[in-house]
Amino acid sequence: MTAPLETPLLETRGVWQRFGGLVANSDVSISVGRGEIVGLIGPNGAGKSTLFNLIAGVLPPTQGSIIFDGEDVTKLPAAERCQRGVGRTFQVVKSFETMTVIDNVIVGALIRNTKMRIARQKAYEVLEFCGLAARAEKLAADLVPSEKRRLEVARALATEPKLLLLDEVLTGLTPVEAQTGVELVRKVRATGITVLMVEHVMEIVMPLVDRAIVLNLGKVLVEGKPTEVVRNPEVITAYLGDRHAVGA
Amino acid sequence: MDSHFAQRRRRDLIMAGCFTVLAALAPLFVKDVYVQNIMVLTLMYAALSQSWNILSGYCGQISLGHALYFGLGAYTTALLFTKFGVLPWFGMLAGGAISAVIAMALGYPCFRLRGHYFVIATIVIAEIALLLIQNWDWAGAALGIDIPVRGDSWLKFQFTRSKLPYFYFALALACVAWFVTWWLEDSKWGFWWRAVKDNPDAAESLGVVVFNSKMGAAAVSAFLVAVGGSFYAQFVSYIDPESVMGFQFSLLMALPAVLGGIGTLWGPVLGAVILIPLTELTRSFVGGSGRGVDLIVYGALIVAISLALPRGLVSVFSLRKGAAR
Repeated sequence: MTAPLETPLLETRGVWQRFGGLVANSDVSISVGRGEIVGLIGPNGAGKSTLFNLIAGVLPPTQGSIIFDGEDVTKLPAAERCQRGVGRTFQVVKSFETMTVIDNVIVGALIRNTKMRIARQKAYEVLEFCGLAARAEKLAADLVPSEKRRLEVARALATEPKLLLLDEVLTGLTPVEAQTGVELVRKVRATGITVLMVEHVMEIVMPLVDRAIVLNLGKVLVEGKPTEVVRNPEVITAYLGDRHAVGA
Repeated sequence: MDSHFAQRRRRDLIMAGCFTVLAALAPLFVKDVYVQNIMVLTLMYAALSQSWNILSGYCGQISLGHALYFGLGAYTTALLFTKFGVLPWFGMLAGGAISAVIAMALGYPCFRLRGHYFVIATIVIAEIALLLIQNWDWAGAALGIDIPVRGDSWLKFQFTRSKLPYFYFALALACVAWFVTWWLEDSKWGFWWRAVKDNPDAAESLGVVVFNSKMGAAAVSAFLVAVGGSFYAQFVSYIDPESVMGFQFSLLMALPAVLGGIGTLWGPVLGAVILIPLTELTRSFVGGSGRGVDLIVYGALIVAISLALPRGLVSVFSLRKGAAR
């Protein structure tokens, strides 16, 4: 089933996405290796979320292909990709508000466990892993924003993904909450799950990721080690404008 | 915490058992035929509303066209019996199966619609079906079908002297609908449906095939409603298009669940127990000249409930028991 270890877990090959006249992604080719934490960064409107949705299978790309675990998944819908091991969170949290926290996670766990008792147990373990076990019986609607973010991660982890896509899970949190989030991401990677994360807040992501890919105007601008990327003049220009790039 | 959940499920089951026994004993004390008639209707609507609740409450696909399946059940049973002499018991299953298939055939295009558009589609489709039946000569057209009475028998499911057999069948139907819901609540389907209702995009990202989930809910819901329709045809022994497929049936299936608590296990039962006797009593007190007054009464009731208890009457009970739903 699983492709050889040396092939990347995820590859996008010349992916384009057009919305009418707007080109959200143009010729994006990236790859994510097994066990990596990769940060996908870039200014607003760079096409990060679009690329994310293409990888998660929310919509098919206009052109190009997406290879996951050695297989072409370009035409597969989101549910099918989840089945193959792509888990994701949403930038704007999408909890099942009328369900309890544990029930939210059970929905994710059911894809790998058809027995309810086992799915429930699995969901409870994931909640413990994410530090939400104490809130298990609360309604999702009653959680505070940082807990809702963690619930998103817990739900995705319950599907036992090979690749976890995190869409701005650390944005909008207090420094303490963000630090807890960073530790959770490290813990996730330690279990062998590959992480691709879209993030806005550079100072939080950079120490966390092994590699950063910078998108700008729908294209890959640079990619490399976080320390190199932040000093790259093109990246500084993209984020701050031309004036600041002088003498960089 | 696992036991917490199991406890609640067991408690629900025990409560249902107690209510069933109490209901089964009721005819010993209630001899009045008029009241017995109301009891039969109450149980029937409890069953219908419980079935409606599967698609519209749990899965969140609000249908105001379930009269279609009710009518299909009634017509299938009546036609098979009068034209081919097929026993109503088989008619019931056939009606259920036909309804389930039609529900899926209609769901195929309609489940691509979201929100209000879906609701409108269900209303329109049921109205079209009503018009078709009204103009279908073989099926009695607007005149309907008179089911010939061939004497009391369980085999032919006809009883002229007493309403009690109908009462017990309606009770059994309500129990089946309740139990199916209870069982589905803690199944993969039950979880998928609630996820689809709350957030289809998130559900899809967790491996839930949203479209198939809706199709499943529609099939189960339509099957059970059609069985209710078959029962009704036998109970009244005369059906015409307006009296089994009219829009008011779609409303009368939805209202108990909405009043009692949409998407809850006990909501439809509670709603039916309050609403149906109220409707029948208002109708008889006001008399023939006041047609529609019953509708005004429970229209007002719905407004009051939705303002005071937007999550339905069951929320009163769950509040008292604390946070655990």
